[in-house]
Amino acid sequence: MQRPDIHDTRLLQLTAAVVAAIIAWFLLRGLLPEAWRTPGSRELYLIGVAGVLLLLVPVAFVVAKRGGSGANPVNWFNAHVFCSFAGMVLIAIHSGGFLRRPPALLLLALIALAALGIWARVYGSRRIAATFASKAPAFRVPDAETRERLRALISEKRALLAQLDPQANEGTFSVNLPHFLRAPRLALAYRRLAREESRLLGSRAAVSPQQAWWRPLHMALAWIFVLGVVIHVITVTFFAGYVADGGPITWWHITAWGG
Amino acid sequence: MDSIERGPSERLALLIDLERCTGCKSCEAACKTEHRLGPGEYRNKVVWASELEEAGLAFLTLTCQHCERPACLRACPVNPKAISKDPVTGIVRVDESRCTGCGECVIACPYSAMGFDAQGHHAVKCDLCVDRRAEGEKTTACASVCPTQAIRFGKRSELLADAQQSGRAPRDQDHFLLGPATIYLERSSTQKVGGMVAVTPARAHPDHSRRPSFMDGLAAQTAVQAQRPAFPYREERADTAADRVVPGGCNICFNCCTVKFHFKNNKLVKITGNDDDPLLKGRVCPKSQLTLQMYHSEHRLLYPQKRVGARGEGRFERISWEQALDEIAEKLKVIRDQYGAEALAMYIGTRTGILDYRTTTKMFAQMFGTPNKDGTDPFCASGKNVAFEITLGSIGSGNSYTENDLGSAELYVYMGDNQAETRPVYFGMINDWRLKNGAKMVAVDPRLTATASKADRWLPIRPGTDMALALALAQHILANNLHDAQFCADWVLGFAQWRDYILQKQYTPEWAAPITGLAANDIRQLAEEIAAADGCVIFASRGINQHTNSTQTNRVLMFLSAITGNWGRRGGAFFNMSAGTPLAAKVPEHRAPKITRQRVRRSPAGWTDAMLHGKPYPIRALISCNNPLAQWPGQEKARAAFASLDLMVHIELFANETSAYADYLLPAASGIEKGEIGRSNDDRRVVWIDKMIDPPGEARSDTWIWVELGKRLGFGDVLKEEYKDPAVLWDEVCIDTPAMKGCTQKRLHSVPHRWVRIPVATEDAPEIETLYLEGTTVPTGAPGRRFPTASGKLEFWTEELEAKFNMLGMSALPEFYSEREQLVDLPYMELQETDAEEGVISPFCSPATGSARGKIIAPGPDHPGAKLRARGFDTELVTGRPPAAHFHSWTHYFWQSQEMWPDLYCQIHPEKAAKLGIKDGERVCVESAHGKIEAMAWVHAGIRPTAVFIPIGWGERQPYNPWRPVNFLTDKTQRDPVSDQTNLKVLLCRVSRAAG
Repeated sequence: MQRPDIHDTRLLQLTAAVVAAIIAWFLLRGLLPEAWRTPGSRELYLIGVAGVLLLLVPVAFVVAKRGGSGANPVNWFNAHVFCSFAGMVLIAIHSGGFLRRPPALLLLALIALAALGIWARVYGSRRIAATFASKAPAFRVPDAETRERLRALISEKRALLAQLDPQANEGTFSVNLPHFLRAPRLALAYRRLAREESRLLGSRAAVSPQQAWWRPLHMALAWIFVLGVVIHVITVTFFAGYVADGGPITWWHITAWGG
Repeated sequence: MDSIERGPSERLALLIDLERCTGCKSCEAACKTEHRLGPGEYRNKVVWASELEEAGLAFLTLTCQHCERPACLRACPVNPKAISKDPVTGIVRVDESRCTGCGECVIACPYSAMGFDAQGHHAVKCDLCVDRRAEGEKTTACASVCPTQAIRFGKRSELLADAQQSGRAPRDQDHFLLGPATIYLERSSTQKVGGMVAVTPARAHPDHSRRPSFMDGLAAQTAVQAQRPAFPYREERADTAADRVVPGGCNICFNCCTVKFHFKNNKLVKITGNDDDPLLKGRVCPKSQLTLQMYHSEHRLLYPQKRVGARGEGRFERISWEQALDEIAEKLKVIRDQYGAEALAMYIGTRTGILDYRTTTKMFAQMFGTPNKDGTDPFCASGKNVAFEITLGSIGSGNSYTENDLGSAELYVYMGDNQAETRPVYFGMINDWRLKNGAKMVAVDPRLTATASKADRWLPIRPGTDMALALALAQHILANNLHDAQFCADWVLGFAQWRDYILQKQYTPEWAAPITGLAANDIRQLAEEIAAADGCVIFASRGINQHTNSTQTNRVLMFLSAITGNWGRRGGAFFNMSAGTPLAAKVPEHRAPKITRQRVRRSPAGWTDAMLHGKPYPIRALISCNNPLAQWPGQEKARAAFASLDLMVHIELFANETSAYADYLLPAASGIEKGEIGRSNDDRRVVWIDKMIDPPGEARSDTWIWVELGKRLGFGDVLKEEYKDPAVLWDEVCIDTPAMKGCTQKRLHSVPHRWVRIPVATEDAPEIETLYLEGTTVPTGAPGRRFPTASGKLEFWTEELEAKFNMLGMSALPEFYSEREQLVDLPYMELQETDAEEGVISPFCSPATGSARGKIIAPGPDHPGAKLRARGFDTELVTGRPPAAHFHSWTHYFWQSQEMWPDLYCQIHPEKAAKLGIKDGERVCVESAHGKIEAMAWVHAGIRPTAVFIPIGWGERQPYNPWRPVNFLTDKTQRDPVSDQTNLKVLLCRVSRAAG
């Protein structure tokens, strides 16, 4: 079966290229015209917009993967990798080299996000593979109390599922994006029960913290970044004077279009 | 079963019988080959677990449970999911093309049965071989090969019904109400232990046990994963679909598994068991399958090389075959002229194969005129061979692994034979008969081995004292008239002399108890069981053989079998591994120069003084066909000896420790690259292996090399060009004996399983299941001779035999002695001459061979064991075979064997480990009076608290996880005067945490 997978070597080459591009930009930006060093200049503004547009692809990946419409999740995954890298370079350029101002935290989150993703793919994968046959305690004599709690939990899930998705089989069901859009309250309640079941199974606790939590952390960083971008757009647009901190307001969408 | 839902009746499943599984990992090998999985990538895995508080050993074949409520499926964030469950069969599958590699399913599975391809970044899992079965196969790859029939595949309801019918209980592993489909059958027997802590199956289970840390150690596994694995890793299924299947055999070990070689476009793509074999029925051990990795290994030697650096440095330049053979031949001529023909030694080891060991190399040695040729026998089996020859007149028991024969025994006693790991398929058959017929099994071994883990009783004997146990068993039987008096009267020569001797010496169970460390009651019980059983099979192996009392202990065990009527009957036998294959190769008398000097010693380890000091005469050249520099005892001296040679030629598959010392390194072919027979096996099956593919690069068959070298020395008229074709060599040279005459190429190829059980005097002679039955005549003997000795009887004692033993300072009536290095002072064997002295001509060897005379030394104030103990050597070192995936050096070049068993380990009892501050998985230093090595600690209560065990096979130059071989700790001077067998089973050592 041919999967359009990005090989580790290629991913690391790509990472090296991105790091080199960012470093080159920081080293060479002094040689570039003034506009490339002016926060919010037309050039940097457009670069920032392009970066955000590229970073919308990972968001789209999240939706496509969960939404039921993605024909090929692996291609979407690859797109999220390539666009994240490209977007990160553009966002780095968009920063204008001002790394001591609060918006630089966004760039930091983006770098952390990418670093975590690369670690997970290149090194974390080995840990994931090494999980096989590592949870022998699962073959211990079953604990009656846990089983009773699980039995009750499964009954609750089934009752809830009858409302959330009557055609579904609890044994193979998990809530996805359409359920959240259709019946958010029920979906959240179901997910709470599913998490409780997962906790009773103890399977996440049975693996290393890195393996257990890299992905939740990766997603959390992604949301922090998205939130940061929204705050950044709002503040530079509606609180430009505050952001400029007494200096000139040079961002293009205000200087060109007024504000 | 407390499942939340009941599955449909069509639900498919695996049934895994914990009473049968011996942890051999054959299923792992089959699965990886079938699904082209690489290092670190699993669909199934066999977990070994051992106890810290109590002796126990358990195995769990872990694979997908195909749950009713699969946690993996529900955890998959992809929509539609990348994991699906078939509503009819219940099979849970992963669609690798949709998997994004997030690993959530791996985390979610509480059984940790979800695999992951770390290179391809996607989940992998067992799908009960859907694709394989769609191609017409009836069962899964794992079930098809399982040597012990521990894995079965089928409809879950039917598997459960079968289990219930046979009174076996499925264990409840539905801890989480996931409704697992996979059925695990609980262990069934009640195991007891003599003299030590009790082992119960309830404890010896992964539920309670710890896994040895070293097996899954990240560093060890990374070393395997760092190298590119050999074909067929990551190949497309279509690219490994065979268009041609050829039957043959495995050429590695004594089980001689029959296999099928699968080819696509003449490329070997898979090796499976031969399901057309009526005996083995497709069951194979992992090694047979993993030879696929040998045939495709990038580590193979590809062309002849000549040394350019210093000896041991390992620097070579590529040369042509012409140059290599011409130069070697010229140097051999010079050495012959200068020192005599006997200055050439030939060490023809396991790797070479029986065909060349018994034919071309033998003919070459005879024509060159050197007596100094031998193989691994003096390290493994020479003691039992001599014992068989003088007692029975032939090597091997004469029985077969068939339901009528060994399957009909009531009692199986394993003494120093870990058959489950050394001949897994044979053990699977014995274990099956044990379970079906309710036969008993007793294991006598210092270690709780995989074999012992299945036995009803484990007797953890002090290493080196099996002879005392055997004598006490015999004494109890004779003293209480429990023996088969009629058999003894009719078919044993010298019975009265031996009986009187045993009774007079008072070798009672009480006498043996403090020597063996076993309770006298346990000894009496075993004696009475052996005597009472309607069919008892005593299995012995290296644990008996690798001692200075090798011949005598084997003889006493043979006598024990004989006096209880367990010889020449179905279901009763004394077994000691291979039966020997009597190949005929001989050089015409007029073409073989008269050999004027005796062979220095039978054991090649006894040649080192001749190499180093020229005593008793010089050996200046060595041609070696395997890896003596991991294998010979006393490595320091062996390496110094090799460094001193004028010419050292190494014929090998892979560059190893020995290669580094070679002047010329010649690349060899193996198995189907050259055509040969399998190893000599337990029950007289000659397994033929056709030449099917060309060897890699410029590698050549051993036959080719010896014929070509022979030509250059003028032997071409005897070592003929046409013998390069193994089929011609076989029919024209090998089978010219009464026992082999009917084992022709035609007959071997007339059966789909490619083996013939010898003796067969003619092509249409029927195979004989059990030899030496009452009323029969030995096939190749005179009428009335039931056994192949001169007298037609089993020979315990004769005047002639007594005279032979007397020549070596011994008696034919076996007197107890043990080893020099023991924790208690016991009588031991001291050789009266060193290897530098000529000694006497051994009456037990042909050709004429020098031997030291022996003297049994009684315990006294100057006992060498006491001196060693005073120096802090306070632990018994036992060496031996590693588990089933390994065999000597060569499997250490197969990536999957190394993945299964990566590091050299040292089994150590928790009490000792605690005392020394050693934790499981830590690096330890083991030092004997002869050398020092390091290994990884495996803290395991299934070993005598006073002993450690370190396996053979690892070497410093293997590509994955190199270690100094254990033979740095062993001593070449502790040998059996009769067979020249070295003691490798008990030496005193001290263990400590390794520095740093």
